[in-house]
Amino acid sequence: MTEEVSLTLTVNGREVSRTAGAHLTLLRWLREAAGVTDPKYGCGEGICGACTVLVDGQPTSACLVLAAQVDGAAVTTAAGLLEADGSLGPLQRAFHDQHAAQCGFCTPGMLMAAAAALAGGRRLSRREIRQELHGNLCRCTGYGPIVDAIEMAQEEAGQ
Amino acid sequence: MTAAAGIRTSKEDELRIVRQPLPRHDQAEKVAGSTRYAGDLAFASMLHARLVRSPVPSARITARDASAALAVPGVVSVLFGEDVPHNLIWVDVPGQTVEVAALKASMEVLATDRVRFHGEPVALVIAETEEALAEACDLVSVDYEELPTVFEPDQALAEGAPLVHVAGNLLGEWDIDRGDVDAAFAAADVVVEGTYQTQTVDHAYLESEVGVGWLDDEGVLTLRVATQVVEHYRDVARILGIPEARVRVIAPYVGGGFGGKEDMTVEPYLGLAVWRTRRPVRMQWTRQESLLARPKRHRMRLRYRTAADSGGKLLGQEIDITADSGAYAYLSALVLLYSAVHACGPYQVSNVRLRARCAYTNNPPTSAFRGFGGMQVVFGYEAQMDLLARELGLTPAEIRKRNALTRGDALPVGQMIETEVLLAQTIDAVVDRAGAKPQPSGPRKAVGRGLASNMQSYGRLVWLNDSAAAWVGFQLDGSLSVRCAVPDIGGGQASSLAQIASEVLGVPMDRITVHFGDSALNPLAGTTTATRQLLMSGNAVYEASVLLRDGLLAAAAEALGEPADGLRLEDGLVSGRAGGGMSLPDALVTCRRRNVPIEALGTFFGPKGQPVVKSLQADRVFPDFTFGTHLCDLEVDLDTGQVELLGYVAAHDVGRAINPRSVQGQISGAVAQGLGMALLEEIVMADGMNLTAGFFQYLIPTATDVPEIDVVVLESGEGMGPFGARGIGEPPIGPPAAAVASAIQDAIGVRPATLPITPERVLDCLGEDLSPGTVT
Amino acid sequence: MFTRPFRFERADRLAQACDLLREHGEGAKVIAGGQSLMPLVNLGLVQPEVVIDISRADARRDVSVADGFVTVGALITHARLAADPVAARAQPLLGAAAAKIGNARVRARGTLGGSLAHSDPAAELPLVMVALGGVYEITDGRRSREVKAEEFHLGFLTSQLAEDELVVAARVPALGPGWGWSFQEVSRRDGDFALAAAAALVRMAGGGVVESRVAVGGVADRPVRLANVEISLGGAAAAELGSRVGPLNGIRPVSDTGASAGYRAHLARVLVERALAEAASRSGEAA
Repeated sequence: MTEEVSLTLTVNGREVSRTAGAHLTLLRWLREAAGVTDPKYGCGEGICGACTVLVDGQPTSACLVLAAQVDGAAVTTAAGLLEADGSLGPLQRAFHDQHAAQCGFCTPGMLMAAAAALAGGRRLSRREIRQELHGNLCRCTGYGPIVDAIEMAQEEAGQ
Repeated sequence: MTAAAGIRTSKEDELRIVRQPLPRHDQAEKVAGSTRYAGDLAFASMLHARLVRSPVPSARITARDASAALAVPGVVSVLFGEDVPHNLIWVDVPGQTVEVAALKASMEVLATDRVRFHGEPVALVIAETEEALAEACDLVSVDYEELPTVFEPDQALAEGAPLVHVAGNLLGEWDIDRGDVDAAFAAADVVVEGTYQTQTVDHAYLESEVGVGWLDDEGVLTLRVATQVVEHYRDVARILGIPEARVRVIAPYVGGGFGGKEDMTVEPYLGLAVWRTRRPVRMQWTRQESLLARPKRHRMRLRYRTAADSGGKLLGQEIDITADSGAYAYLSALVLLYSAVHACGPYQVSNVRLRARCAYTNNPPTSAFRGFGGMQVVFGYEAQMDLLARELGLTPAEIRKRNALTRGDALPVGQMIETEVLLAQTIDAVVDRAGAKPQPSGPRKAVGRGLASNMQSYGRLVWLNDSAAAWVGFQLDGSLSVRCAVPDIGGGQASSLAQIASEVLGVPMDRITVHFGDSALNPLAGTTTATRQLLMSGNAVYEASVLLRDGLLAAAAEALGEPADGLRLEDGLVSGRAGGGMSLPDALVTCRRRNVPIEALGTFFGPKGQPVVKSLQADRVFPDFTFGTHLCDLEVDLDTGQVELLGYVAAHDVGRAINPRSVQGQISGAVAQGLGMALLEEIVMADGMNLTAGFFQYLIPTATDVPEIDVVVLESGEGMGPFGARGIGEPPIGPPAAAVASAIQDAIGVRPATLPITPERVLDCLGEDLSPGTVT
Repeated sequence: MFTRPFRFERADRLAQACDLLREHGEGAKVIAGGQSLMPLVNLGLVQPEVVIDISRADARRDVSVADGFVTVGALITHARLAADPVAARAQPLLGAAAAKIGNARVRARGTLGGSLAHSDPAAELPLVMVALGGVYEITDGRRSREVKAEEFHLGFLTSQLAEDELVVAARVPALGPGWGWSFQEVSRRDGDFALAAAAALVRMAGGGVVESRVAVGGVADRPVRLANVEISLGGAAAAELGSRVGPLNGIRPVSDTGASAGYRAHLARVLVERALAEAASRSGEAA
């Protein structure tokens, strides 16, 4: 008999209450219980970064934390970076304009890693941007366009 | 001359949409996180399926028992090979080809009697939940009686080797004999020799193999899978013994392919599970399964002897290629053919003796991977060019320019180069852009600069009778629909079609929808592989769009009483010279009144050729080639052997850049993947057991491993694709390993000959010779 | 993906977690940051029956300094330790090591206690603890005991922790006057586990080494304190340090897909020399 737990998380600003298996990682809980599919399964080892979300503002491998551990927390995924009217947020617009997504599978996680990196408010050099991103693997772009996008975003934000 | 073989050139200044760095139409959804990849759809009452795989590299299966697994609550079914209606996968060069004996290769969907590699599928378990699968898969009982093994191609090809397959361990063999090699070597002023070894590499796309299958309302078996080939519906139909017309494959946006999703992955298992249960089924392979068992890039041993005159002109090449094909053939013979045809590189040489063989072993199977055999050989032929340069006191740039192919030269296999070759210009471009070589950052550091050029085909082997079709049609309001079954794996395949249609028909990009990747609803366009889609589906869309445009302008001309050649389609209007014209919707009404179609099907047929035989000789093997040169600056830590990449420039002639940002992105991504193979990646096997089946062990480049990549795009205007484009997906993956090896030689005086170039291997090199090398 | 179900218990205090460990026995695992446990669970290598979460427990996760010692609560995340100003002033080796762990996600949740309990031979924090002569405070919910770091880490992924014990805090000497420090690590890529690592502290006076502490990681089944090297450094001038480093006794490197044993041994020597040089140069600053 699978033990279930009832959890309430605020996902992208919306309160989501679900009862689901206690063993579910945050990644599975978001994708299967809450229907939020932008964080992706890439490895289950916490290495590829495709499952990166923000939990109370902190960059987190959703595959390495149990949903039950973060009951009550605020979770932000790429969809949470959109504006209220559904249009792209500034970071997403920068990624879009700089062609930072090819297959796009790493993109939701990459966006959250970028958001976490920029949250400090400090202006980062290209080298520092790369250091902030080294935990998010991309197999398509060669990273240059992603670094361009983050530079553009911090420029526009006046960082 | 048919459109297929024609070289398309265009007046650059007349192109308005093509050559614009427009954001691709899929970009917005991808950055919003709303793209639904194959694993993102779920159905009510959906089942889950998982494979049970062999834990040993070679064995006879002596017993199989599913009873304990079936007893787990939630398990619906456990299937073995006997449950598969036709338990055979023909890997017969996927797509639309006829069988060719030399390239036929087969394996079982589920092994019944014999397993040949660690990870081979033996059983399929279907259950209500992933949790039930976690328990049940461990309980499927299979008894293995281990058999002798062989892991090295040389040993596999030797007398008395354990047989991986009954017909013998020699899977494929190609020869090229041209001119008089012995005379050339006898007359040579210099002969250089080298042996080079490339490694087994994995695609490591971020999205692992995944799909969801269901029966639709007509009972059509529908598979929505991450794939590069929707035509696999035919293979699934054959395996299940049902008509091809009753199977449909949908390819949504794919999270990376690189050739790893070119063969079937989940398709036969999903098809089987849906067919048996009549319910929707989801299957996703874990990363560890993917690294364990998915077909890999062939590791190759390359032996080169190269003869030249005192001026550096190549006189002859003698080449021996031995490749590890692993346990099953997949596309191995074809990969080896590419190696053979590309083995001399972008250089003119009249006397060649080449022998290429690939052998079965009990290692993981090998198949398609970006570059497809044409990229491993770059590591060999570029090393030889640098060796010659050193012997003769020439610079790496000079020796390459002296030997560069030009239009009218013939490749060793016999194909003549028909398009302009900008190799020398790509060499100049990277050298100019790179500027001065950096200085070492400390006393125990050495800096080196390396150069590497390559050529890589685009478009499929001509005797495969390649074709692609696309349907382009106007909506009554002037917006446009494009239907083409091309899979989009991240290279902007679908988006390029919109740009091409937009250019010809004058419809703005935001009023064009491309419906792609559906084998039932879209005209088939073949595989997204072999750097062929721009050439094939691009030309098909171009043809259809031109047909449509000409018909529409003729009808409009009649209605306006003006000559058709004075009318243009642009910005949603039919515009006349004198300023007159009509709106597109009005023009469409005009067409319908005159029974002029407002939709068109375009089919593009690739160039044709004769089937190849073991002794390769053909007037045409591939449609055409893309040429390029890369330059790499790096610093070696003389104490630890670590290599830091300081700078990188890549220049390719892309014919015409349909979307310059897409082109740059493809080049940048391919370079990163090539650098991974150069420095980091290796599937490590020990007695047939895969030791690198996790991202913890299998290391792909991160943002700090890849330097800033400066991309220079040259446009000769001469390519076989629409508007003179050449393919660019694969070519840039070839040079990086050679450029890195070359730079290391420049830094420390010794050139690594084995990939990947780990810090340890650099220290090995340092143990031999610490003197700095010649500056480029 | 294919994980067998398990139960979840939240512990509000460490003592409660210890009770739960005793209650559930072998089938129970404690989770804090999850960065070591969850990959094993996800890959099916560990199949717990119940997971006991201490990540939100009312337990120590701060840095304090008293009587020349720095005490760090076990629940502190690597990110917090790396950024902690008290730690940076009092014992910079701690934050320098923590900053090298993994990537931002690992550091945001991974904890000191988790890393110490996991006892990976290549891990940064066990290494600096051994180099510093750290002492761990352990609890079983009823009693506390103290264990020296050198004795705590027993072998590959093996520590002295009994099945019902947890690490509460770690205590290390503060960096005194005249001391310099260094942390050196080589990995295949940024954030990967170290192929080899070295931590060194050197106190110079009158142009020569008065005291030193040197330890290496990733070259045995646990961090190795290089006592013989420390002895041979006595009185050495900064320029001589490299030549005084004799054999690295006690290292037993292994070969794996990341590197061969020989390369690891070579790296260890290189890193020890670099660490000593940097520590010596820093000792001048602190004097």
